[in-house]
Amino acid sequence: MGSMKHTPRRFWAGFCWLLLFVALVVLAPTAWAHGIGGKDAAFVAASTGPQILPFMYLGAKHMVTGYDHLLFILGVVFFLYRLRHVALYVTMFSIGHSITLLAGVLFGLNVNSFLVDALIGLSVVYKAFDNLGGFQSLFGFQPNTKAAVLGFGLVHGFGLATKLQALRMSPDGLLANMISFNVGVEIGQLLALSVILALIIAWRKTPSFTRNAVLANVLIMVGGFALIEYQLAGYFTNGRF
Amino acid sequence: MTMDTSASINVAPRRLIALTLGAAIVATAITFLFFLPAEYGYDPTGFGQLTGLNKIAAAEPVTVAAVAPAAAGGGSAARAAVSAYRSDMIDIPLPPDGELEYKVQMKPGDSLVYSWDVEGFENPDWFYYDFHGETWPRPEGEKAKIAEYEQKTGVKSSGSLIAPFEGVHGWYLQNQGGKPVTVHLKMSGFYTLVPPGEYGNLDGIQAGTK
Repeated sequence: MGSMKHTPRRFWAGFCWLLLFVALVVLAPTAWAHGIGGKDAAFVAASTGPQILPFMYLGAKHMVTGYDHLLFILGVVFFLYRLRHVALYVTMFSIGHSITLLAGVLFGLNVNSFLVDALIGLSVVYKAFDNLGGFQSLFGFQPNTKAAVLGFGLVHGFGLATKLQALRMSPDGLLANMISFNVGVEIGQLLALSVILALIIAWRKTPSFTRNAVLANVLIMVGGFALIEYQLAGYFTNGRF
Repeated sequence: MTMDTSASINVAPRRLIALTLGAAIVATAITFLFFLPAEYGYDPTGFGQLTGLNKIAAAEPVTVAAVAPAAAGGGSAARAAVSAYRSDMIDIPLPPDGELEYKVQMKPGDSLVYSWDVEGFENPDWFYYDFHGETWPRPEGEKAKIAEYEQKTGVKSSGSLIAPFEGVHGWYLQNQGGKPVTVHLKMSGFYTLVPPGEYGNLDGIQAGTK
């Protein structure tokens, strides 16, 4: 760490947060709706019969590139110091989104994707607010955190389901492809989670963590609010003004 | 409260309210300055116009219903034209794998009849066309409206069109074969030709008036 001797660690921590924030605000708008697009969409629309690995890949890709899901996961693990707890909460989240992903597509449940994505934004705001001790401090009670993660998991699953439904998957091989997609989502989530955990564990060892934890959660909240507003604007205008 | 596995920090209530409101305000600013102009083409602050962000949204055309406007006087079988009557025969050459757009300018309610066929094709499945209309001219930063009339593979087509809006209306033509072909297009009705090199006739097709 010799090269960092003259640069305070908090500078780097602040710099990383700034980078994350800039990426969120400037780069992400091109993909804010976060659907499955381009050649991936064409592939899904054109494929009939079971395509195990391709759908697994698409599920993993959707999760790894899904800043809406990743922001929520970041919020969830922010103050989880023990791996056992990380595993518990992430499992709750996975159970939640798997139920609605599979049920949503298999039973053709029709949910407006703008509204679901706005709710996903709300889940991000909720978790960051919870991390700041908001419920305890302002309302004097603490909603069950596991139930909240499970509940918002259901919402995220509906989000995944609407993205797949928009592509009108062929009924031929639907179940196998759905499950493959779901397995891919979990793999992608584990990959993303390991990176998030590695970064946050390293960051916690520095004094800047306690100093900037509030700021970090406020920034997560900004991301959540921005997602909500972006999606609501789309909902009320049907994608155009 | 029972011991929860999820720890959190304690922020004083006033500060918490201020931070939450601050987050919402920053997000709203991002929404109004970036998302609305760049994604939806809605620019209440003028920031999109100032920075050119609104051009991102404008680049994406909006598809509208291809419905003829109601004629003055209701659902009458006859309708009066706005533009002057004319008739044209146009030869459009297309090299192997060539593509171009040929359109004419029409006002809403203007009508024309047309018939075209392709000379020199090898396989009728190797010629594709997209008959559509697009708002033109339009102010900079405004989204194009597109009306789709017919998208098909084939080497001849005949019909008529009543323009749903003011704009250029015509064909995208694509020769997917390996030989040069010529499209012979005949049109009569109420429209004006787009001068060669201008939008709608960028490839500079010359018309011979009949």
